[in-house]
Amino acid sequence: MALKVLIVDDSPAMRNFVRRVMQLSGMDVERYFEAANGAEALDIAAATPLDAVLTDINMPVMDGEEFVRRWRETADGKSTPVIVISTDATAHRIHNMLALGASGYLQKPFGPEQLRNELERVLGAPHV
Amino acid sequence: MFRAQDTDALVAALLDSCCEQVLETMFFSPVLDHAAPEESNGKDRIHTQLRFHGKPSGAFEVDADFPVARSMAACFLGLDESEVSPAQIEDVLAEFSNMTCGSALSSLGRVEYFHLDTPSTTRSSGFTPAIEGVRRGFQMEAGTLGVCLRVDFEQE
Repeated sequence: MALKVLIVDDSPAMRNFVRRVMQLSGMDVERYFEAANGAEALDIAAATPLDAVLTDINMPVMDGEEFVRRWRETADGKSTPVIVISTDATAHRIHNMLALGASGYLQKPFGPEQLRNELERVLGAPHV
Repeated sequence: MFRAQDTDALVAALLDSCCEQVLETMFFSPVLDHAAPEESNGKDRIHTQLRFHGKPSGAFEVDADFPVARSMAACFLGLDESEVSPAQIEDVLAEFSNMTCGSALSSLGRVEYFHLDTPSTTRSSGFTPAIEGVRRGFQMEAGTLGVCLRVDFEQE
């Protein structure tokens, strides 16, 4: 099954990098959606069925914590995997994001293999 | 009990390993050797600085010969160097600052939590350090790249 993936990051360069790494990973992606903050991501998620969300934490307007918390309160957001991508790998931050409802956590720097492994872990099946 | 020189040595080792890992994994750019950024005086340089808050707080800066920053941006974005805009170079160097600082703080061991401010970027002629801290320099294919981290444990 080809995936519909939402990438949430305020940096256009980082969104571009994540898309490239997804392509290099060999994951079968049907379409990428992009949002520059949590508020934009909630709008896209409300209008589009998604298979996975990859989100940054530090963003203007609405950060990743607020986005995950709010999206998990919606019907669609309860079951769709969310992977947090962040430089912050302190136990405090990881615990907080997982408690809010994140399905996985990927620390920068990362490459195609790490991203694919984490996506397949939260999706529960290979999507190559 | 930690002594200041122990902490500085630990931060220096972390900066070396984090920079190399970030550059190789996400910028596909190997570090060739250690270098003194002061040797780039008079060259076109780009400088990024950010502050972080939490336990502990502090500051981080990156300074690079402009050709190094342009090469990093091209590798990160998957573009030819001639296609990279000045805004993209600033955006990518800011990402490098975030990643390297966050990676070093996460590995430091004595960090409970932190929040990174948005980096600010400026152009300059020559090496213009803005913060006092543990400074490391790297020789890249296109020139030198320097980083500096100051961790204010005493303000916890």
